[in-house]
Amino acid sequence: MRKTASILAVMILTGATAASSIPTFGAGNTERYLHVRVQDSKEGESVAVNLPLSIAEKVLPTVNKGKLQGGVVHIDNAEMNDIDIKALLEAIRTSPDNEFVTVKQKDQDVRVAKSNGNIIIHVVQRDKDAQKVDVTVPMKVVDALFSTAKNDEVDVAAALRALSDAGDSLLVTVESATEHVKIWVDSNGNPAQ
Amino acid sequence: MVLLGKIALGMFGTVVAGVGLICSEGFIEVNVVTKQPDQHHVVVIAPAMLVPIAAHFIPPDKLDHGARELKQYMPTVRAALEGLDDADDVTLVEVTEPGQHVVVKKEGGSVIVNVVDRDETVYVSTPIRAIESTVEQVANASDHAHDQDGGDYQ
Repeated sequence: MRKTASILAVMILTGATAASSIPTFGAGNTERYLHVRVQDSKEGESVAVNLPLSIAEKVLPTVNKGKLQGGVVHIDNAEMNDIDIKALLEAIRTSPDNEFVTVKQKDQDVRVAKSNGNIIIHVVQRDKDAQKVDVTVPMKVVDALFSTAKNDEVDVAAALRALSDAGDSLLVTVESATEHVKIWVDSNGNPAQ
Repeated sequence: MVLLGKIALGMFGTVVAGVGLICSEGFIEVNVVTKQPDQHHVVVIAPAMLVPIAAHFIPPDKLDHGARELKQYMPTVRAALEGLDDADDVTLVEVTEPGQHVVVKKEGGSVIVNVVDRDETVYVSTPIRAIESTVEQVANASDHAHDQDGGDYQ
Protein backbone atom coordinates (compact mmCIF):
# COMPACT_ATOMS: atom_id res chain seq x y z
CA MET A 1 0.00 0.00 0.00
CA ARG A 2 2.81 2.33 1.00
CA LYS A 3 4.73 1.34 -2.14
CA THR A 4 1.74 2.25 -4.27
CA ALA A 5 1.48 5.59 -2.48
CA SER A 6 5.18 6.28 -3.10
CA ILE A 7 4.84 5.48 -6.82
CA LEU A 8 1.73 7.69 -6.98
CA ALA A 9 3.59 10.53 -5.27
CA VAL A 10 6.49 10.32 -7.76
CA MET A 11 4.04 10.19 -10.68
CA ILE A 12 2.19 13.26 -9.41
CA LEU A 13 5.51 15.10 -8.90
CA THR A 14 6.68 14.14 -12.40
CA GLY A 15 3.36 15.14 -13.92
CA ALA A 16 3.38 18.47 -12.13
CA THR A 17 6.90 19.36 -13.25
CA ALA A 18 6.19 18.22 -16.81
CA ALA A 19 3.01 20.30 -16.88
CA SER A 20 4.92 23.36 -15.73
CA SER A 21 7.27 23.01 -18.71
CA ILE A 22 4.47 22.94 -21.28
CA PRO A 23 4.43 26.32 -23.04
CA THR A 24 1.24 28.28 -22.73
CA PHE A 25 -0.45 29.10 -26.00
CA GLY A 26 -2.73 32.04 -26.78
CA ALA A 27 -6.12 31.61 -25.22
CA GLY A 28 -8.43 32.83 -27.92
CA ASN A 29 -8.50 33.31 -31.66
CA THR A 30 -10.22 36.68 -31.52
CA GLU A 31 -6.93 38.55 -31.43
CA ARG A 32 -6.77 41.59 -33.67
CA TYR A 33 -3.65 42.91 -35.31
CA LEU A 34 -2.37 46.22 -36.53
CA HIS A 35 -0.43 45.52 -39.71
CA VAL A 36 2.10 47.82 -41.33
CA ARG A 37 3.64 47.06 -44.72
CA VAL A 38 6.28 49.20 -46.35
CA GLN A 39 7.63 48.20 -49.74
CA ASP A 40 10.33 50.08 -51.54
CA SER A 41 10.71 48.65 -55.02
CA LYS A 42 13.62 50.97 -55.82
CA GLU A 43 15.78 49.66 -52.97
CA GLY A 44 14.24 46.18 -53.04
CA GLU A 45 13.31 46.49 -49.37
CA SER A 46 10.20 45.51 -47.51
CA VAL A 47 9.17 45.80 -43.88
CA ALA A 48 6.24 44.01 -42.32
CA VAL A 49 5.03 44.64 -38.78
CA ASN A 50 2.14 42.69 -37.23
CA LEU A 51 1.31 44.01 -33.77
CA PRO A 52 -1.34 42.27 -31.67
CA LEU A 53 -3.60 45.10 -30.49
CA SER A 54 -3.95 43.39 -27.10
CA ILE A 55 -0.23 44.00 -26.47
CA ALA A 56 -0.51 47.64 -27.47
CA GLU A 57 -3.58 48.00 -25.20
CA LYS A 58 -1.63 46.59 -22.26
CA VAL A 59 1.58 48.50 -22.91
CA LEU A 60 0.25 51.95 -23.71
CA PRO A 61 -1.26 52.74 -20.26
CA THR A 62 2.07 51.86 -18.63
CA VAL A 63 4.04 54.45 -20.58
CA ASN A 64 4.58 57.67 -18.69
CA LYS A 65 6.99 59.70 -20.75
CA GLY A 66 6.69 63.33 -21.77
CA LYS A 67 3.20 64.19 -22.94
CA LEU A 68 2.09 60.55 -23.02
CA GLN A 69 0.85 59.65 -19.56
CA GLY A 70 -1.17 56.51 -18.90
CA GLY A 71 -2.36 56.19 -22.48
CA VAL A 72 -3.41 59.82 -22.69
CA VAL A 73 -1.53 62.46 -24.68
CA HIS A 74 -1.61 66.00 -23.36
CA ILE A 75 -1.86 68.64 -26.08
CA ASP A 76 -0.83 72.18 -25.35
CA ASN A 77 -3.56 74.72 -25.82
CA ALA A 78 -1.39 76.51 -28.35
CA GLU A 79 -1.39 73.40 -30.55
CA MET A 80 -5.19 73.24 -30.40
CA ASN A 81 -5.37 76.92 -31.46
CA ASP A 82 -8.38 77.31 -29.18
CA ILE A 83 -10.46 75.07 -31.42
CA ASP A 84 -13.20 73.19 -29.60
CA ILE A 85 -12.34 69.79 -31.05
CA LYS A 86 -15.19 68.03 -29.25
CA ALA A 87 -17.80 70.41 -30.63
CA LEU A 88 -16.27 70.09 -34.09
CA LEU A 89 -16.36 66.29 -33.92
CA GLU A 90 -19.89 66.29 -32.60
CA ALA A 91 -20.91 68.41 -35.58
CA ILE A 92 -19.21 65.97 -37.96
CA ARG A 93 -20.62 62.93 -36.16
CA THR A 94 -24.19 64.13 -36.32
CA SER A 95 -24.00 65.39 -39.88
CA PRO A 96 -24.91 63.14 -42.82
CA ASP A 97 -22.26 61.67 -45.12
CA ASN A 98 -20.74 64.59 -46.89
CA GLU A 99 -17.60 66.07 -48.38
CA PHE A 100 -16.31 68.68 -45.94
CA VAL A 101 -13.20 69.90 -47.68
CA THR A 102 -12.26 69.79 -51.33
CA VAL A 103 -9.11 71.55 -52.47
CA LYS A 104 -7.98 71.33 -56.05
CA GLN A 105 -4.63 72.80 -56.93
CA LYS A 106 -2.30 72.46 -59.89
CA ASP A 107 -0.10 69.89 -58.14
CA GLN A 108 -2.37 68.64 -55.41
CA ASP A 109 -5.91 67.55 -54.62
CA VAL A 110 -7.16 67.23 -51.05
CA ARG A 111 -10.49 65.81 -50.05
CA VAL A 112 -11.88 65.32 -46.53
CA ALA A 113 -15.20 63.54 -46.24
CA LYS A 114 -17.44 61.50 -43.99
CA SER A 115 -18.67 58.26 -45.45
CA ASN A 116 -20.23 55.12 -43.88
CA GLY A 117 -19.11 56.03 -40.35
CA ASN A 118 -15.56 56.83 -41.42
CA ILE A 119 -13.61 60.03 -41.82
CA ILE A 120 -11.78 59.87 -45.11
CA ILE A 121 -8.79 61.96 -46.10
CA HIS A 122 -7.64 61.66 -49.67
CA VAL A 123 -4.57 63.46 -51.00
CA VAL A 124 -3.18 63.25 -54.51
CA GLN A 125 0.14 64.90 -55.22
CA ARG A 126 1.15 65.35 -58.84
CA ASP A 127 4.58 67.00 -58.66
CA LYS A 128 7.88 65.17 -59.16
CA ASP A 129 7.32 63.29 -55.88
CA ALA A 130 3.88 62.20 -57.05
CA GLN A 131 2.00 60.12 -54.52
CA LYS A 132 -1.48 59.18 -53.45
CA VAL A 133 -2.44 59.08 -49.78
CA ASP A 134 -5.67 57.63 -48.41
CA VAL A 135 -6.50 57.74 -44.72
CA THR A 136 -9.67 56.16 -43.36
CA VAL A 137 -10.42 56.49 -39.66
CA PRO A 138 -13.57 54.95 -38.17
CA MET A 139 -15.63 57.66 -36.49
CA LYS A 140 -15.77 55.51 -33.34
CA VAL A 141 -11.98 55.72 -33.08
CA VAL A 142 -12.05 59.49 -33.43
CA ASP A 143 -14.78 59.66 -30.77
CA ALA A 144 -12.71 57.52 -28.41
CA LEU A 145 -9.67 59.67 -29.03
CA PHE A 146 -11.50 62.69 -27.65
CA SER A 147 -13.57 60.83 -25.06
CA THR A 148 -11.59 62.12 -22.07
CA ALA A 149 -13.11 64.70 -19.78
CA LYS A 150 -10.40 67.24 -20.50
CA ASN A 151 -10.31 69.27 -23.69
CA ASP A 152 -6.54 69.32 -24.02
CA GLU A 153 -6.07 65.55 -23.98
CA VAL A 154 -6.47 62.73 -26.47
CA ASP A 155 -7.04 59.23 -25.17
CA VAL A 156 -4.86 57.06 -27.40
CA ALA A 157 -5.55 53.95 -25.29
CA ALA A 158 -9.31 54.37 -25.74
CA ALA A 159 -8.81 54.91 -29.48
CA LEU A 160 -6.80 51.70 -29.63
CA ARG A 161 -9.59 49.82 -27.87
CA ALA A 162 -12.13 51.28 -30.29
CA LEU A 163 -9.90 50.27 -33.20
CA SER A 164 -9.73 46.77 -31.80
CA ASP A 165 -13.53 46.61 -31.49
CA ALA A 166 -14.09 48.00 -34.98
CA GLY A 167 -14.25 45.62 -37.92
CA ASP A 168 -11.44 44.92 -40.37
CA SER A 169 -10.37 48.25 -41.77
CA LEU A 170 -7.81 49.66 -44.12
CA LEU A 171 -6.50 52.72 -42.32
CA VAL A 172 -3.73 54.18 -44.46
CA THR A 173 -2.34 53.64 -47.93
CA VAL A 174 0.45 55.64 -49.46
CA GLU A 175 1.46 54.95 -53.02
CA SER A 176 4.23 56.56 -54.96
CA ALA A 177 6.25 55.47 -57.97
CA THR A 178 8.58 53.37 -55.84
CA GLU A 179 7.04 53.12 -52.39
CA HIS A 180 3.93 51.46 -51.08
CA VAL A 181 2.77 51.81 -47.48
CA LYS A 182 -0.28 50.07 -46.10
CA ILE A 183 -1.63 50.11 -42.54
CA TRP A 184 -4.67 48.05 -41.65
CA VAL A 185 -6.39 46.11 -38.86
CA ASP A 186 -7.72 42.57 -39.11
CA SER A 187 -7.77 39.23 -37.30
CA ASN A 188 -5.13 37.51 -39.43
CA GLY A 189 -1.87 37.19 -37.49
CA ASN A 190 0.28 36.13 -40.40
CA PRO A 191 -1.01 37.71 -43.62
CA ALA A 192 0.92 37.18 -46.86
CA GLN A 193 3.74 39.65 -47.44
CA MET B 1 15.80 -4.32 -0.02
CA VAL B 2 12.49 -2.49 0.30
CA LEU B 3 14.30 0.41 2.01
CA LEU B 4 16.87 0.56 -0.82
CA GLY B 5 14.02 0.58 -3.31
CA LYS B 6 12.36 3.49 -1.50
CA ILE B 7 15.64 5.44 -1.40
CA ALA B 8 16.19 4.80 -5.12
CA LEU B 9 12.63 5.84 -5.86
CA GLY B 10 13.07 8.98 -3.76
CA MET B 11 16.33 9.84 -5.52
CA PHE B 12 14.78 9.22 -8.92
CA GLY B 13 11.83 11.42 -7.99
CA THR B 14 14.17 14.17 -6.82
CA VAL B 15 16.23 13.98 -10.02
CA VAL B 16 13.08 14.05 -12.18
CA ALA B 17 11.70 16.97 -10.16
CA GLY B 18 15.05 18.80 -10.41
CA VAL B 19 15.31 18.27 -14.16
CA GLY B 20 11.65 19.26 -14.54
CA LEU B 21 12.26 22.42 -12.54
CA ILE B 22 15.37 23.39 -14.51
CA CYS B 23 13.54 22.78 -17.78
CA SER B 24 10.32 24.42 -16.59
CA GLU B 25 11.07 27.67 -18.44
CA GLY B 26 11.98 25.88 -21.64
CA PHE B 27 15.25 26.09 -23.53
CA ILE B 28 17.28 28.84 -25.09
CA GLU B 29 18.53 27.86 -28.50
CA VAL B 30 21.26 29.68 -30.37
CA ASN B 31 22.25 28.44 -33.80
CA VAL B 32 24.88 30.30 -35.82
CA VAL B 33 26.12 29.19 -39.23
CA THR B 34 28.78 31.23 -40.99
CA LYS B 35 28.96 31.02 -44.77
CA GLN B 36 32.61 31.86 -45.31
CA PRO B 37 34.85 29.20 -46.83
CA ASP B 38 35.87 28.05 -43.35
CA GLN B 39 32.29 27.39 -42.33
CA HIS B 40 31.49 27.41 -38.63
CA HIS B 41 28.40 26.00 -37.04
CA VAL B 42 27.68 26.83 -33.41
CA VAL B 43 24.66 25.37 -31.63
CA VAL B 44 23.90 26.10 -28.00
CA ILE B 45 20.84 24.68 -26.29
CA ALA B 46 20.58 25.51 -22.61
CA PRO B 47 17.80 25.45 -20.00
CA ALA B 48 16.37 28.97 -19.94
CA MET B 49 16.15 28.93 -16.15
CA LEU B 50 19.94 29.06 -15.96
CA VAL B 51 19.96 32.61 -17.37
CA PRO B 52 18.19 34.36 -14.45
CA ILE B 53 20.20 32.17 -12.07
CA ALA B 54 23.42 33.29 -13.80
CA ALA B 55 22.21 36.90 -13.71
CA HIS B 56 21.83 36.53 -9.95
CA PHE B 57 25.59 35.98 -9.63
CA ILE B 58 26.59 39.14 -11.52
CA PRO B 59 27.87 41.64 -8.93
CA PRO B 60 25.07 44.19 -8.35
CA ASP B 61 27.45 47.13 -8.82
CA LYS B 62 28.20 45.96 -12.38
CA LEU B 63 24.52 46.12 -13.24
CA ASP B 64 23.65 49.13 -11.13
CA HIS B 65 23.45 51.84 -13.82
CA GLY B 66 21.64 49.67 -16.35
CA ALA B 67 19.38 48.29 -13.65
CA ARG B 68 18.33 51.76 -12.51
CA GLU B 69 17.63 52.76 -16.12
CA LEU B 70 15.67 49.58 -16.66
CA LYS B 71 13.67 49.82 -13.44
CA GLN B 72 11.70 52.86 -14.58
CA TYR B 73 10.53 50.97 -17.66
CA MET B 74 9.66 47.78 -15.83
CA PRO B 75 5.86 48.30 -15.84
CA THR B 76 6.04 48.67 -19.62
CA VAL B 77 8.39 45.72 -20.02
CA ARG B 78 6.16 43.55 -17.80
CA ALA B 79 3.03 44.54 -19.72
CA ALA B 80 4.73 43.89 -23.07
CA LEU B 81 6.03 40.48 -22.06
CA GLU B 82 2.73 39.51 -20.44
CA GLY B 83 0.87 40.60 -23.58
CA LEU B 84 3.31 38.69 -25.76
CA ASP B 85 2.96 35.58 -23.63
CA ASP B 86 -0.84 35.72 -23.90
CA ALA B 87 -0.86 36.50 -27.64
CA ASP B 88 -1.26 33.92 -30.39
CA ASP B 89 1.75 32.94 -32.47
CA VAL B 90 2.62 35.82 -34.78
CA THR B 91 5.40 37.16 -36.96
CA LEU B 92 6.00 40.49 -35.27
CA VAL B 93 8.53 41.99 -37.65
CA GLU B 94 9.89 40.89 -41.00
CA VAL B 95 12.46 42.91 -42.88
CA THR B 96 13.68 41.91 -46.32
CA GLU B 97 16.38 43.74 -48.17
CA PRO B 98 18.91 42.64 -50.77
CA GLY B 99 21.11 40.05 -49.10
CA GLN B 100 19.36 40.14 -45.74
CA HIS B 101 16.23 38.75 -44.20
CA VAL B 102 15.29 39.38 -40.56
CA VAL B 103 12.31 37.80 -38.81
CA VAL B 104 11.19 38.38 -35.22
CA LYS B 105 8.30 36.18 -34.22
CA LYS B 106 6.46 34.74 -31.27
CA GLU B 107 6.10 31.00 -31.45
CA GLY B 108 4.72 28.91 -28.61
CA GLY B 109 6.09 30.51 -25.47
CA SER B 110 9.24 31.84 -27.14
CA VAL B 111 10.52 34.84 -29.02
CA ILE B 112 12.46 33.81 -32.09
CA VAL B 113 14.91 36.02 -33.95
CA ASN B 114 16.17 34.71 -37.27
CA VAL B 115 18.69 36.67 -39.33
CA VAL B 116 19.87 35.40 -42.68
CA ASP B 117 22.45 37.45 -44.57
CA ARG B 118 25.24 36.84 -47.04
CA ASP B 119 27.77 35.97 -44.34
CA GLU B 120 25.84 34.06 -41.74
CA THR B 121 22.60 32.70 -40.44
CA VAL B 122 21.68 33.41 -36.82
CA TYR B 123 18.75 31.80 -35.05
CA VAL B 124 17.94 32.62 -31.43
CA SER B 125 14.95 31.25 -29.57
CA THR B 126 14.30 32.48 -26.03
CA PRO B 127 11.34 31.56 -23.81
CA ILE B 128 9.33 34.63 -22.80
CA ARG B 129 9.21 33.49 -19.18
CA ALA B 130 13.01 33.38 -19.13
CA ILE B 131 13.19 36.91 -20.54
CA GLU B 132 10.77 38.03 -17.82
CA SER B 133 12.76 36.38 -15.02
CA THR B 134 16.08 37.71 -16.31
CA VAL B 135 14.82 41.26 -16.77
CA GLU B 136 13.29 41.20 -13.27
CA GLN B 137 16.59 39.90 -11.90
CA VAL B 138 18.56 42.67 -13.62
CA ALA B 139 16.07 45.37 -12.56
CA ASN B 140 16.24 44.17 -8.96
CA ALA B 141 20.01 44.49 -9.02
CA SER B 142 19.63 48.23 -8.37
CA ASP B 143 17.86 47.42 -5.07
CA HIS B 144 20.67 45.05 -4.05
CA ALA B 145 23.34 47.64 -4.93
CA HIS B 146 21.33 50.19 -2.97
CA ASP B 147 21.18 47.85 0.05
CA GLN B 148 24.92 47.18 -0.13
CA ASP B 149 25.67 50.91 -0.31
CA GLY B 150 23.53 51.45 2.75
CA GLY B 151 21.04 53.39 0.65
CA ASP B 152 23.36 56.38 0.15
CA TYR B 153 23.09 57.06 -3.54
CA GLN B 154 20.47 59.27 -5.08
